[in-house]
Amino acid sequence: MSKGLKADLGKCTGCQMCMLVCSGSHVGKFNPSEARINVEDVFPEPGEFKINHCVHCDEHPCVEACPVEAIKLNDKLGTYFVDRETCTACGACVDACPYNGCWIDPSGSYSIKCDLCDGDPQCVAVCPKGVLKWGD
Amino acid sequence: MAPDGYTGKVLRVDLSSEKISTEPLNKEWARQFIGGKGLGARYLFEELKPGIDPMSPENVLSIWTGPLVGTLVPLTSRYVVVTKSPLTGTFLDSYAGGFFGPEMKYAGFDGVIIKGKASKPVYLWLNDGKVEIRDARNVWGKDTYRTEEVIRKETGEKMARVASIGVAGENLSLISSVTNDLTRNAGRGGTGAAFGSKNLKAVAARGTLGVEVNDMDSLLPMVKEMIKTDVVGNPDHAGMITDGTPVLVEMSNDAGILPTRNWHDGVFDGHEGINSESIKTRVLVRKRACFDCALACGSWSKVKAGAFSGAATEGPEYETLGLCGSNCGIKNVEAVIRFVEDCDRHGLDSISAGNAVALAMDLYEKGILSKGDVNGLDLRFGNEEAYAKMPGIIAERKGIGDLLAEGALRAGRKIGHGADGMVMHVKGLEYPAYDPRGTIGMALAYATSDRGACHLRAWPVATDAYGSADPWSTEGKAATCVEDQTRTSVKWSFIFCDFYGVNFPNMAKYYSAATGYPSSEEELRKTGRRIWNLTRAFNFREGFARKDDTLPERMMNEPLRSGKTAGKAVPKESFEKMLSEYYALWGWDEQGRPTKAALTDAGLGDIASKLPGLG
Ligand code: SF4
Ligand code: SF4
Repeated sequence: MSKGLKADLGKCTGCQMCMLVCSGSHVGKFNPSEARINVEDVFPEPGEFKINHCVHCDEHPCVEACPVEAIKLNDKLGTYFVDRETCTACGACVDACPYNGCWIDPSGSYSIKCDLCDGDPQCVAVCPKGVLKWGD
Repeated sequence: MAPDGYTGKVLRVDLSSEKISTEPLNKEWARQFIGGKGLGARYLFEELKPGIDPMSPENVLSIWTGPLVGTLVPLTSRYVVVTKSPLTGTFLDSYAGGFFGPEMKYAGFDGVIIKGKASKPVYLWLNDGKVEIRDARNVWGKDTYRTEEVIRKETGEKMARVASIGVAGENLSLISSVTNDLTRNAGRGGTGAAFGSKNLKAVAARGTLGVEVNDMDSLLPMVKEMIKTDVVGNPDHAGMITDGTPVLVEMSNDAGILPTRNWHDGVFDGHEGINSESIKTRVLVRKRACFDCALACGSWSKVKAGAFSGAATEGPEYETLGLCGSNCGIKNVEAVIRFVEDCDRHGLDSISAGNAVALAMDLYEKGILSKGDVNGLDLRFGNEEAYAKMPGIIAERKGIGDLLAEGALRAGRKIGHGADGMVMHVKGLEYPAYDPRGTIGMALAYATSDRGACHLRAWPVATDAYGSADPWSTEGKAATCVEDQTRTSVKWSFIFCDFYGVNFPNMAKYYSAATGYPSSEEELRKTGRRIWNLTRAFNFREGFARKDDTLPERMMNEPLRSGKTAGKAVPKESFEKMLSEYYALWGWDEQGRPTKAALTDAGLGDIASKLPGLG
């Protein structure tokens, strides 16, 4: 069982409020391109949304791929997060992730992925349509 | 300087000399006029020579965001196009939601001011503070959907957002719009022609710079709470969440104010085919929101079978259902979807286009226009096949389309035989979908709106035809208009979406947290009065006064036919009485001219000193 966010895609409206709160709380400014979750809208055809985020998969190939051990364990949650200081932005994790779960931030300085806000995911709190869920 | 929600930068582009420059935002003006409407109006007043032809290179075309745009403060995704209107010659501010506004801000700019005229078609490319004037040859002649796609390819930015004109704007139709994110339009007043007359096909933006607010730590918890209590949990928003604006079809039909067959009736026998229920059961695919919207009033809708199979749009919105539906005698939402998708693709304002097509239908049925005059079509009310061809005909200016592209009033004047008297408009801007003969407050709202007949500055229909107040009593209507215009002036300056019923105290709360500037209801009310006085002053400078704050004669002497409004018209004396009351409330003179005292009181002493002939 992966330990990440679950998204009920059918309910998503593409408002990107999840991306706004994610960037606001992680980097102190509102900047969707620095969010750790990414909502893509594909209109007019086929008319759907895709949400990319780290699903905190059990195999976590990103951790193994990282040459500098920048992806570290959060003991409390049992999930992995990117340590910004150690990360060299080499992109090995991005290539290794089968879920489009992590990517290099727009400044090109480090890899970003969902860290579950240390147990209080803000996107879950803000999503007005109840798309995003975490835990049981 | 501490961050305050603004990027602090204004982009200037002179398309004639291809000169591009960036300058600091005038912060003194930002404090006085906020952003959006207010700030746009202040810059326009300063930089536009009075009396110029709006289609000439001298016109100033600008695009603005506001201090809350791009933040998590809910329903602040809008941008505004501010210019002198090609259609009406008045001040013009046209808004659109979607994703373009925030993207322009993330790309580094609070506002973009465009002057001159390019020697060949171009588009502007804004990317993280860098700006290019690019060759638009590959997109000229293409519809807005395709234009977005091609520009994303050309710039290599799959997340680029594009505000573009379609063929209607290229052909300088005065009812053309600027379209972004497929279905969102800065629709009214001929914004598309303002672009087209400058050979400007589009403004495209991609930004990763973000927006910084003054106090993130206090803003985040406050906004999270407000999303729950004031947006999603606000009972006033329930209908917006479940249905969106189409709920108004039934409400208007019941109230007898649903425009029907070129405004001959206020009750439509085919309302059941274009109401919210028909959308939900026949065409709805899913709900789709603008950026930063917790309501998601938009419905992505697609026609599943029949002659219009495959047509799709977001909506249609109430205004479109009224003007392009009942007002054209169209009884099926599927046909409206075909029509409005084509309006979006060609970049036509669906409110104006619906009025223009209804006029042509009316003239055709009356025999003033023959089949030959209307491109060989059997243009009866309700003939879906002929109707669906009209957006293309108008955008391409084919046959009758060449006249209708000028807007309903100019078309009526050219056709003659009293056709102009059949057009429902104020200052040349065609009516939105509320018949003032069943909501006298809207008569005043239309007549006094700064851009011509408009439902977005004052909406007294909420309390009269839709509410419990007497729709025909003039009592309190002037005061309602003044109150609404004051509030919306502020709302359109932040820029909030229409559908967030945000009150003054909450606007002040958001404003302070985002900017760090102290604020209060009282202060914002003063700002609202300042902005409304400013647009009045702009229009006064262009020669507008009471003589233009009028309604078509039809409103006075042709009563509606059925339902609650049967036999009703707008009594001329009542209208004039409300108008005088309204001017008095604003402190303007009997001729509707702003006064030195009113302007000075609103903090516009400098503007007053630039206007000779003030009382
Ligand atoms: S980033 Fe990808 S590979 Fe790594 S834990 Fe998340 S989902 Fe798994
Ligand atoms: S906040 Fe919710 S509805 Fe909005 S884009 Fe994110 S997941 Fe979708």
